[in-house]
Amino acid sequence: MTKSIFVSTFFHIIMIILTALSLPFMRRAPLDLPPIVSVELIQISEKTNLPYAPRAKKILEKIKKEQERVVSEQAPPKLVKKEKPDAVPLPKEKSKKKEKIKTEKQNPERIESEVRQVSEFEKKEIFDPNKIAALIDKSKEEAAKEIKRNNKLTQSQDKSIVSSGLTLSEEDALKAQIFGCWSIPLGLPYNEDLLVRIKLELNPDGSIVHTEILDHARMNKPGQSFYKVLAESALRAVKLCQPLRVPATGFERWKNLQLNFDANEMLKG
Amino acid sequence: MKKNIAIIISFIIFFNINAYALIQVDITRGNLNPLPVAVSTLFIDSVSESKVFKELGGLKIGLEISKIIENNLKKTGLFNPLNQDAFIQKPDIAHLKPRFEDWQLIKAQALITGKVEVVENNLRVEFRLWDILAGREILALAFTTVPANYRRVGHIITDKVYQRLTGEEGYFDTRIIYVAEEGPKVQRVKKLAIMDQDGANTKYLTLGNELVLTPRFNPTNQMVTYLSYFRNLPRVYLLDIETGVQEVVGTFPGMTFAPRFSPGGKKIIMSFAKDGNSEIYTMNLETREVEQITNHPSIDTSPSYSPNGKFITFNSDRSGYQQIYVMRSDGSNVKRISFGTGIYGTPVWSPRGDLIAFTKLHKGKFYIGVMRTDGKGERLLTENYYQEAPSWSPNGRVLIFYRETKSGDQGEGFSATLWSIDLTGYNERKVETLTDASDPSWSSLLTK
Amino acid sequence: MNLRVFTKNIFLVVFATLILSACATKTATLKGQMQGDVYTGTDTVEYLAKGVPDRVFFATNESVLTTAARDTLRKQAAWMRKNSELSFTIEGHADERGTREYNLALGERRANAAKDYLMTYGVSQNRLSVISYGKERPVNSGSSPLAWSQNRRAVTVKAN
Repeated sequence: MTKSIFVSTFFHIIMIILTALSLPFMRRAPLDLPPIVSVELIQISEKTNLPYAPRAKKILEKIKKEQERVVSEQAPPKLVKKEKPDAVPLPKEKSKKKEKIKTEKQNPERIESEVRQVSEFEKKEIFDPNKIAALIDKSKEEAAKEIKRNNKLTQSQDKSIVSSGLTLSEEDALKAQIFGCWSIPLGLPYNEDLLVRIKLELNPDGSIVHTEILDHARMNKPGQSFYKVLAESALRAVKLCQPLRVPATGFERWKNLQLNFDANEMLKG
Repeated sequence: MKKNIAIIISFIIFFNINAYALIQVDITRGNLNPLPVAVSTLFIDSVSESKVFKELGGLKIGLEISKIIENNLKKTGLFNPLNQDAFIQKPDIAHLKPRFEDWQLIKAQALITGKVEVVENNLRVEFRLWDILAGREILALAFTTVPANYRRVGHIITDKVYQRLTGEEGYFDTRIIYVAEEGPKVQRVKKLAIMDQDGANTKYLTLGNELVLTPRFNPTNQMVTYLSYFRNLPRVYLLDIETGVQEVVGTFPGMTFAPRFSPGGKKIIMSFAKDGNSEIYTMNLETREVEQITNHPSIDTSPSYSPNGKFITFNSDRSGYQQIYVMRSDGSNVKRISFGTGIYGTPVWSPRGDLIAFTKLHKGKFYIGVMRTDGKGERLLTENYYQEAPSWSPNGRVLIFYRETKSGDQGEGFSATLWSIDLTGYNERKVETLTDASDPSWSSLLTK
Repeated sequence: MNLRVFTKNIFLVVFATLILSACATKTATLKGQMQGDVYTGTDTVEYLAKGVPDRVFFATNESVLTTAARDTLRKQAAWMRKNSELSFTIEGHADERGTREYNLALGERRANAAKDYLMTYGVSQNRLSVISYGKERPVNSGSSPLAWSQNRRAVTVKAN
């Protein structure tokens, strides 16, 4: 009984091997699969909804709280207006702040490009002697630490935080609004300087009083006809977007706004 | 000391409070939506209309011209002409001064209005381009021509509008020459055909009795050079479009093919094949002087001059397979510029001088692509079962080429069609022709 | 079980299996019409005379003569020497899977390859002319590797 089972199994296996080798349709042609290219679909929505790294988030929340406190403590604006603007660069102060900003950037791991853009901008500002106040404010984490560290500077600093600069989300909101309105002319040359700066004077409700194109001379320069086209598209974007999404308060800070339209990123891809 | 410094610092910061920093916001993104533009029917007064009515076979000329402009703008993919039914203001008023609010309501950002009148049997067409958001006129021109030429007026207006709104020269007042084909694959009947770039006014230049291939315009668009198998001898010919007179180019003792004009129109550059070797030659049309440009036992063909006439790009298999080379126009300094995987053919130098378009075949797929003139920056624009022979629009933005479909075992399902694509890779669209078509070539602007 | 019956059964089964696999390889015969890329069949071949095929075939992008091609051309040359009053045109063709202008040049090269070989076998040059049709005159209008291989050819045609 077992012998026949063995013999039967043995020959069955031989049959299977024979058929597998000789029947061509059993052989499968190797698949030629194209390499998989992963594409990430990023939802473009109204507001930038970027998660902040937990540590940065905490600091920002702290700053917000401090800001609220600070607003109520500040001296009345009249006092501020009497001061004359003075520009004396203090190299020591500058370098200290530069260092601080650099270190801050390393810590938040997941701050995306939008946020990074703002910090890049801040870096430029550091070297401008007139804007020491502004620079303190823009780097909020920095400001938070400063507030804690130096009591003597508290009052003036508080004023600066409040009085200049759009806060991060306000700037983002305005950007997002204008992104949607700006139809970039596709015919622009790739390898030219595609930056046009528009100065705006606004009404409190966000409508435009006056626009001015900086680098106006470039409009009629020969060989730079694309600049005119680019500038006009920027003006159309701004007019189309009225009323602009401006903050509810602090009209004095943002009634003069400069928009830097740069088509390089979109066109160079 | 420290206390003093602290006081100084606080003062300085105080002083700076009042300098409200001018807030700068960087706008680095926008949308690539086509610009909404409204093309109003051109206004024509009743007297002029009756004068021209019979001559144009009952055509409503104001409407026709606006339709030509609308069609041209739409096909660029850069503009979105709004539906005329939605217009609030009528043409008879619009051409005087538009009510910008009316146009803003329908979301137009630019508006084209105009007027047509008949002045001494001639057509006088005037148009205005308005920036709706800025509320002002940004362009106004007038043209006078014979009534039969009304289509060209529409194209010229489109060129001007396009240039004003994009900064680039237009390409609408142009023609395309191509090979019209019919019949079974094994015995195709081919004729030379020209048409307006929008497909109108198709005219056949040969009868189809002999095989004709790869035609090209000369820079003034009055002559055509092409390959003909007249009397079963494949040679390059010259054809005068007006007179229809054809003459063979040179007296070569073998097949000449792949002809093009030099940028000045004085020479024809082509390949000459003898004893299994194809070299590139030029012939001066005035002096009839023949010059050999390449000298290599490989196949050298598909030459194309740079716009300044100083360089030639061509196709050669001297490295084993078809690749693209660039040399000086006297044949010296030959350099290979294509180094990607696959084989490369049909190089064409852009009229802007900055790019070379080509056909690429790789793993059984055909691609149309562009690369910089040093070979870097290769970009493939489209892929297909079979497509080749791109030709540039005169502003160097659009490529026209042809495709053939896969056919069944008896040749059924075969068709050849013309297609165009924008340099950015967008806006791929079919170019309509009356018959099957291949070997397209774009003329320069008819008005220059 | 009887050993004889047992062995007979085994043989039957093996035999049946092998017949089955033999049937399944019928498609391989059609593939035998091509060796690599070059057409080796006779479906499209016409004859200048009995036993003298009028054409030779080529691999993709190649103008090199295969052994079979040279064999055919020797037969052609022999027949041409016997009919010395005749002149011939050698047509060079290419398949549709290439750019048009390069294919015109490739067809010319293929025709010349055949012509040169005929000349080495004693056919005088002034009896042979060459013309290229590139991909314009396929003999098989299909879009398959078989059709393309039949179209990559140099055909000798009587001129007068």
